[in-house]
Amino acid sequence: MIGGLFIYNHKGEVLISRVYRDDIGRNAVDAFRVNVIHARQQVRSPVTNIARTSFFHVKRSNIWLAAVTKQNVNATMVFEFLYKMCDVMAAYFGKISEENVKNNFVLIYELLDEILDFGYPQNSETGALKTFITQQGIKSQSKEEQAQITSQVTGQIGWRREGIKYRRNELFLDVLESVNLLMSPQGQVLSAHVSGRVVMKSYLSGMPECKFGMNDKIVIDKQNKGGSSEEGGKSGKQSIAIDDCTFHQCVRLSKFDSERSISFIPPDGDYELMRYRTTKDIILPFRVIPLVREVGRTKLEVKVVIKSNFKSSLLAQKIEVRIPTPLNTSGVQLICMKGKAKYKASENAIVWKIKRMAGMKESQISAEIELLPTNDKKWARPPISMNFEVPFAPSGLKVRYLKVFEPKLNYSDHDVIKWVRYIGRSGIYETRC
Amino acid sequence: MPYLGGDDAVRELRRALSNPNVQSDPLRYRNTILKVIRSMSQGVDVSGLFSEMVKACATVDIVQKKLVYVFLCSYAALNPELSLLVINTLRKDCQDPNPMVPHHTRYPPLVEYVEQPLTAGLRDRAACVRRVAILGWAKLYNLQPTSEIDASVVNELYSLLRDPDPVVIVNCLRALEEILKEEGGVAINKPITHHLLNRLKECDVWGQCDILRVLQRYKPQSDDELFDILSLLDASLVSPHPPVMAATLSLFLHLCPDLPAVSQAALERVRGPLLAACGSASREMRFTALCHIQLLLRSLPGLMGAHYKRFFCGYAEPAYIKQRKMQVLVELVNDENVVMLLDELKGYCTDVNADTAQAAISAIGRIGRSYSDRCLEILTGLLGLKQDHITSAVVQTMRDLVWVCPQCSDTVCVALEGCEETLQDSQGRQALLWLLGVYGERVSSAPYTLEVFIDGVRSEASLGVKMELLTTAMRLFLCRPAETQDMLGRLLHYCIEEETDMCVRDQALLYYRLLHCGIEETRKVLHGPRSDPSLGVLIGRPAEPISQWASSFNTLEPLRQVAVETESVSRGSPEHVTTDLSVTLSGCRVHDVRSGDLSPSPALSPEEFERLWLQRQEDFVRLEERVRCPAVPHCSPQSLQAAMQLLNIQTLAFTPPHALPWRVYLYTHTQHTHSEDTLCRTLILGELLLKVTLQQQPRDDEALRGFLSILTSVLHTLTPESE
Repeated sequence: MIGGLFIYNHKGEVLISRVYRDDIGRNAVDAFRVNVIHARQQVRSPVTNIARTSFFHVKRSNIWLAAVTKQNVNATMVFEFLYKMCDVMAAYFGKISEENVKNNFVLIYELLDEILDFGYPQNSETGALKTFITQQGIKSQSKEEQAQITSQVTGQIGWRREGIKYRRNELFLDVLESVNLLMSPQGQVLSAHVSGRVVMKSYLSGMPECKFGMNDKIVIDKQNKGGSSEEGGKSGKQSIAIDDCTFHQCVRLSKFDSERSISFIPPDGDYELMRYRTTKDIILPFRVIPLVREVGRTKLEVKVVIKSNFKSSLLAQKIEVRIPTPLNTSGVQLICMKGKAKYKASENAIVWKIKRMAGMKESQISAEIELLPTNDKKWARPPISMNFEVPFAPSGLKVRYLKVFEPKLNYSDHDVIKWVRYIGRSGIYETRC
Repeated sequence: MPYLGGDDAVRELRRALSNPNVQSDPLRYRNTILKVIRSMSQGVDVSGLFSEMVKACATVDIVQKKLVYVFLCSYAALNPELSLLVINTLRKDCQDPNPMVPHHTRYPPLVEYVEQPLTAGLRDRAACVRRVAILGWAKLYNLQPTSEIDASVVNELYSLLRDPDPVVIVNCLRALEEILKEEGGVAINKPITHHLLNRLKECDVWGQCDILRVLQRYKPQSDDELFDILSLLDASLVSPHPPVMAATLSLFLHLCPDLPAVSQAALERVRGPLLAACGSASREMRFTALCHIQLLLRSLPGLMGAHYKRFFCGYAEPAYIKQRKMQVLVELVNDENVVMLLDELKGYCTDVNADTAQAAISAIGRIGRSYSDRCLEILTGLLGLKQDHITSAVVQTMRDLVWVCPQCSDTVCVALEGCEETLQDSQGRQALLWLLGVYGERVSSAPYTLEVFIDGVRSEASLGVKMELLTTAMRLFLCRPAETQDMLGRLLHYCIEEETDMCVRDQALLYYRLLHCGIEETRKVLHGPRSDPSLGVLIGRPAEPISQWASSFNTLEPLRQVAVETESVSRGSPEHVTTDLSVTLSGCRVHDVRSGDLSPSPALSPEEFERLWLQRQEDFVRLEERVRCPAVPHCSPQSLQAAMQLLNIQTLAFTPPHALPWRVYLYTHTQHTHSEDTLCRTLILGELLLKVTLQQQPRDDEALRGFLSILTSVLHTLTPESE
């Protein structure tokens, strides 16, 4: 259980402090600030022990969130809780920044009151929390509304209200993926994985039942056993193996376990349907080929080629290649065929930006870096990192169908307007040089 | 953070709160209350506003009510009289037909008056009220742990375990755990266990964790039942939520301690989810997963062998993750991946963060125990960079490596030439001196290096370096007397005449007198062992049984070990402790037991030991003495055992580290020449429990005293310097 929660700004000033249990004294707030935030050396561990009290902290931009406890608790749970707390706050007021925390002071206290009681996590689902959190202040409700709350709080479906009505039934589905890569200078993939999210926005009336299908390998293989061999050959190639996935609480897990079908009654508005991770057969949208040559002690020649590796009809956007330079760089000459490149002395890097790039293309940059002679340490050669955005899912995930059934109201699956979009972004996409 | 002008602020707030104009305007009134709470969280003492805040409680505005309750909960304990005023409002709120109101009525700590609303709350129609009421009882109990909680309440809580709302169930469990703490928590019997397991799926992540933790106490009645439970839990074992996965594994390990095959299968099964957690986006989760993986590797070293690439460090990862990953990588080395792994570790040696670089170098050293040629090549290459922190770490690593693998000494001796110029810190110089002392005859430049040190001894700040310097000079004198004699004289002169530190001066005096005893005697004392290959076996620990760490799995324990380990890296490795020991002990042998000697043979079996220990008192001389070494229980039993063995004291049994009371059983024989030809043997049995209890047969006071002084000096050497 959690004894207390503190939120600090980067200077260590307390923005929020909520103590749940009496064993956490008032000096605990200061102990963490003095020992961790103001400590001279780098953070040694996300868990700090001060006077038999454990402080678990996470940082979001320049805000420190710390959970305090005196018990020997389950560390994974406390961290998971802090992440959830961040998610909930982000759902209410967007980015967690000092200004936002200060402006939503009351809201955060309300949330903390709701999410934890006596240090035990209670209710952390944004949708269900909305009933309890009264930012505008609910005066007094009619009998009908009261009954509704009771049914929602006690009932099976905590994430959706009854009686939602829309004139246009719409459904937005985004497949957002971030592809992570670590590649050796020789072009060998050291590690690669995609972590993806299926984010939905639903504006549907009533209590609809949805069914979501994708090219999951297990499902497709199962279907192929029954179906014709021709079909199997076609779709077998395009199925993907998902390493692990998590779902929003609305998804019926028992059905997923038995049939691997994803069916659910969606919450209203924004929510994240599932999260998944894949490591096999990842389409790496870009390859970076670095070539670094040291010419004497005061000159460095760098040539970097990037190749786009996807269908030529697609366009990648917001491409940025960051080539680190040594600390003793005195001047840089750059030649690039496409986009704009600039040497940023403050960041010790050459930043090469390309607005758009089609698939199956190649582009290169060459740089001559002049160095000041020093006796400093050998340059550690940090990896070349890359950012981009592509309009497909690097894991190969495809949405096969998304069906909506609402037996009580008279609208059917094809009355619903559905929008599907794929966005692949770079996570940590690094090539060593 | 109390800020200046706190008093003024409070006065102003009070004026605003009691202003009728403000009170009549709900928005302004609420804003004023907001200001009170804001200053409260900034640390201003606003307890003086209690009576004004009590008045603000009587309102229909729920937001305002909530804010006031936040205030009341924090200050009610300071103002018991005034808190009585709240009771009426509170009671009224609890009876409100709208479930929202009682739900938010967080009961302030006013014991006598809240029992009735709490009891009513347990039976409320709305689940959210029941949730709060249940935990309310737990709070009440915590406020007055001495008062008996009504048995009927406990019964009611037990019956609420069957509530339709999952959060109510979990809260009941939590409340009962706290209320019945004295009796060992909730009574977990078969029906409750099965009920909880069936409802497990409905609960959220936090609830599942708590249920799984409580169920650890359950003992299945038959194997069939056990396997039913295990197969029911199988799905949560591979749960994508790391907390649930960890809690389930922990439960598995608790349920079947006698079935190693089952626990092993469970560990294999969690490999996937654990690896996934290691690659998760959030670094804290990655860190926690790594710590737990290390725990698993203690029992199943081969578990992650094929996935070693997952533990390669990313460039931007924080130092604590990198260091943990390296520790895991060291465990995963095998013939196939050693090239790749060393290549990777070599890359980390030039990390910007000095700690990470040092960790990488010592990781290479650890691998060097099995693949010495490859590693030495890398280490010598690193010396070429001429970076002080890297050189220091390399020299320390080489010292540790040579101690375990004497076959590396040739390469090390060659590599040592010329690295004294880049060494800055005391740890590194100490290591260099030790190596020069032990392998002085093979390093051609050793006397010149030493001369530089001796010339600079006046400005030397580190005590450790001075002590090491004395020993090294003595050792070098023994193997290269012609080149060293003069400087040894100078050093001893300085240390005896001018040095202010007692330790250094005593050590110098000891050596000076030793030299008087003749060169042969000196050689006997100073010629300690150069290496201890047996330590390699001790440190390359064998697979531990799972039960050894099962109880600490999924707690803070594995994360805490990190702190201890990183400290020990900076202080000196376990071998270093023993090397120091050999040096110091060679000294104490001169003082105390020159006439007697210890030997562990003939060996004593544990049964025999027990029999002798419990034997009637008059046969044995009994002696109790307090030793003051508070930190000894924290040193690893392995190093204690190794240290004792070095002195021919056999340790028979010890409790695991950190267990209390910490105790060790040991024995030895003393051989003691009384007169010219009679050789007496006496047996000494000992129990170490922060005080030493010794039994001896037959009586020999002198031998006993000798033994005791050796024992205390061992314990003091093992105690970290800082203590």
